[in-house]
Amino acid sequence: MSAPLIEVTGLTKWFPVRRGVLQRKVGDVKAVDGVSFHVDRDETLSLVGESGCGKTTAARALLRLVEPTAGRAIYRPSEDAEVDLFGLGARALRRWRRDLQIVFQDPFESLNPRMSVGQIVGEPLRVHGVCARDEIDARVEQLLERVGLRADVRNRYPHEFSGGQRQRIGIARALALEPKFVVCDEAVSALDVSIQAQILNLLGDLRRDFGLSFLFIAHDLSVVKYISDRIAVMYLGRIVETGTREDVFERAAHPYTRALLSAVPVPDPKRKKDRIILQGDVPSPLQPPSGCHFRTRCPLAEARCAETYPETVRLSATHSAACHLLP
Amino acid sequence: MIGPMKRLLRSRGARKLGRDRLALASMFVIGAYLAIAIAVGVFGLISGEEAIFRIGPDQLVGAWGKPTVEQRMHYLEFYVDQVDQAFDKREPEKALAAIDFFGLRTVSTDEDVMAEKLETIFDPFDELYELQEEEGFADDPENFARLEKLEVDIAAMFQQPEGWERRYRDIGLLLGTDRQGRSILLRAVYAIKVAVQIGLVAALVSVLIGTILGGVAAFFGGWVDHVIVWLYSTLSAIPYIILLMVLAAMFLGSPFEGTLIPVYVAFCMTFWIGPCRVVRGEVMKLRELEYVQAATAVGFGRTRILLKHIIPNTTHLMFINFSLIFIGAIKAEVILSFLGLGVKNEPSWGVMINQSRQEVIAGFMWQIGAATFFMFTLVLAFNILSDALQDAFDPKHV
Repeated sequence: MSAPLIEVTGLTKWFPVRRGVLQRKVGDVKAVDGVSFHVDRDETLSLVGESGCGKTTAARALLRLVEPTAGRAIYRPSEDAEVDLFGLGARALRRWRRDLQIVFQDPFESLNPRMSVGQIVGEPLRVHGVCARDEIDARVEQLLERVGLRADVRNRYPHEFSGGQRQRIGIARALALEPKFVVCDEAVSALDVSIQAQILNLLGDLRRDFGLSFLFIAHDLSVVKYISDRIAVMYLGRIVETGTREDVFERAAHPYTRALLSAVPVPDPKRKKDRIILQGDVPSPLQPPSGCHFRTRCPLAEARCAETYPETVRLSATHSAACHLLP
Repeated sequence: MIGPMKRLLRSRGARKLGRDRLALASMFVIGAYLAIAIAVGVFGLISGEEAIFRIGPDQLVGAWGKPTVEQRMHYLEFYVDQVDQAFDKREPEKALAAIDFFGLRTVSTDEDVMAEKLETIFDPFDELYELQEEEGFADDPENFARLEKLEVDIAAMFQQPEGWERRYRDIGLLLGTDRQGRSILLRAVYAIKVAVQIGLVAALVSVLIGTILGGVAAFFGGWVDHVIVWLYSTLSAIPYIILLMVLAAMFLGSPFEGTLIPVYVAFCMTFWIGPCRVVRGEVMKLRELEYVQAATAVGFGRTRILLKHIIPNTTHLMFINFSLIFIGAIKAEVILSFLGLGVKNEPSWGVMINQSRQEVIAGFMWQIGAATFFMFTLVLAFNILSDALQDAFDPKHV
């Protein structure tokens, strides 16, 4: 087993909350609180969870689009080279950014409305000096065709495209620098279901052709099931369960994961569903509950759940979960 | 540059603007003002001297005004005085030759000829001048006939200029003259140049400073933001007209006194606050947008992101602020000049309104009317246009 491409340990992002005239710090929103995961080469890891559980923040902190509060992230451009992403200075970081790209959720906000498609996709090439100036246009056309757009769209502007087409442009931009690792931050959530399938297939093709690894952030479990190799489930800033797709979908161990899975709509009216309905709302990440964060909504909660945060239990080589009730 | 321009012209906003008749009319008015300003400032349509020179008697009413009998007597007195005074000089012939009100000269510069003409006028003029004091003077048709005859006689001492000179003088007299006998129309038109000059400089510089500082403050945040916010909060806590007065007064005695530099400095120091605030807010919003994050993820430098991805998306604010500051500066110039702290040595609408204070007391409204009308038209047109621009280019407006 080779070393993973990306290895994140104890990633933490706290946002200070300031109040009053003097802007005194009254607490922290613990958006991401000690998250660890890894992504292997040619692998898709999905990070799933409800809105506000910190999955987007975790991904953005990993790419240092927001500065992480604590933690360590190792990127291995080759088997025996290690880059400490959180230890890099601004200039050095910029060089490594070529390898780590992101596709955003909202196709309407992720493209600069004042730049043509050619500029949007070509700018990274120009700035990083990836190819000679006179080759940029050809390269841009090639990229656009690769993501399923016509090459002549490069003189048009983002507002002339539909959501799905814009998402393709965003993907072309991310691919321009030939990255090794791409974060898809809810990349299909804003699209119609039929378009979602097209984009997911495109991402799958690209992954195969370019040898990409994905960190796929989503809240739609049917999408996750379709695309992932492994899955990490987040709740209130922490990972509660990780495992392969089969581990999570067939043998879910954590009560929260089970509740999530039971909420996936199944297109079969005859099948009797035993949904686990969670009570209440997600607690505030400013003041998470004592002990296990999930205990306030957990149908199985016991007294000890309020005392300590559960240890992560290894259930198999690939599967682990954090719950007091696990053996 | 061509691509974005073409896109701007084909944009929904431009089409919307094209359908707005009021906006088109105001654009036409502004265009006319700009054309005049260029004609005056660049091609010298009216020289500063023409706007300062005497064109005729003081407080002459405009072309479609009807002077009262007193005013007519006053004009006659002026012309008689001009010729009479020439004879008090050591060289009367030279003095006579020097009489030239935009081409209006004496019939002859020969001393004897003029003396003879003057002689025939003196007595009837004095007689009428005495009678003027009596009650019912204006109602007496006999007096009226004498006045008219006298006007003809006095006019005969002068010869009207010919051709374009005649036309130019007629235009100059269209709105009458001020207390120093200067053409109100020429001064008001010359003032367009001054106003546009001040408006353009103030608007360009303030929008530039405001956009850069606002953008930098919001984008870099931290202490940079604190310093800039502190600076404009402090400046805007001072009543702005007082700040303008202090700044203008600071330049008294400096080499720049009498030029427009003090006005420019005062305006640019105060007017950048508006665009700075608005741009700061907008950039704070843009900074969090995903295309800016995408630019960071791709590995662009912060300066590049600010200049290529953020500032271009604030252009609609620049347009709107430009037009707001343009008229703001013109109005502020009028106030400053009215207070005697603004424009010196050149006619401006503020200077004209300042000078018309005594005329207004005497019931002579031509100067204040002209200055106000010219200013009002420009400011109104700009207000309508900036409203229309806002409506047309605001993405949140459907």
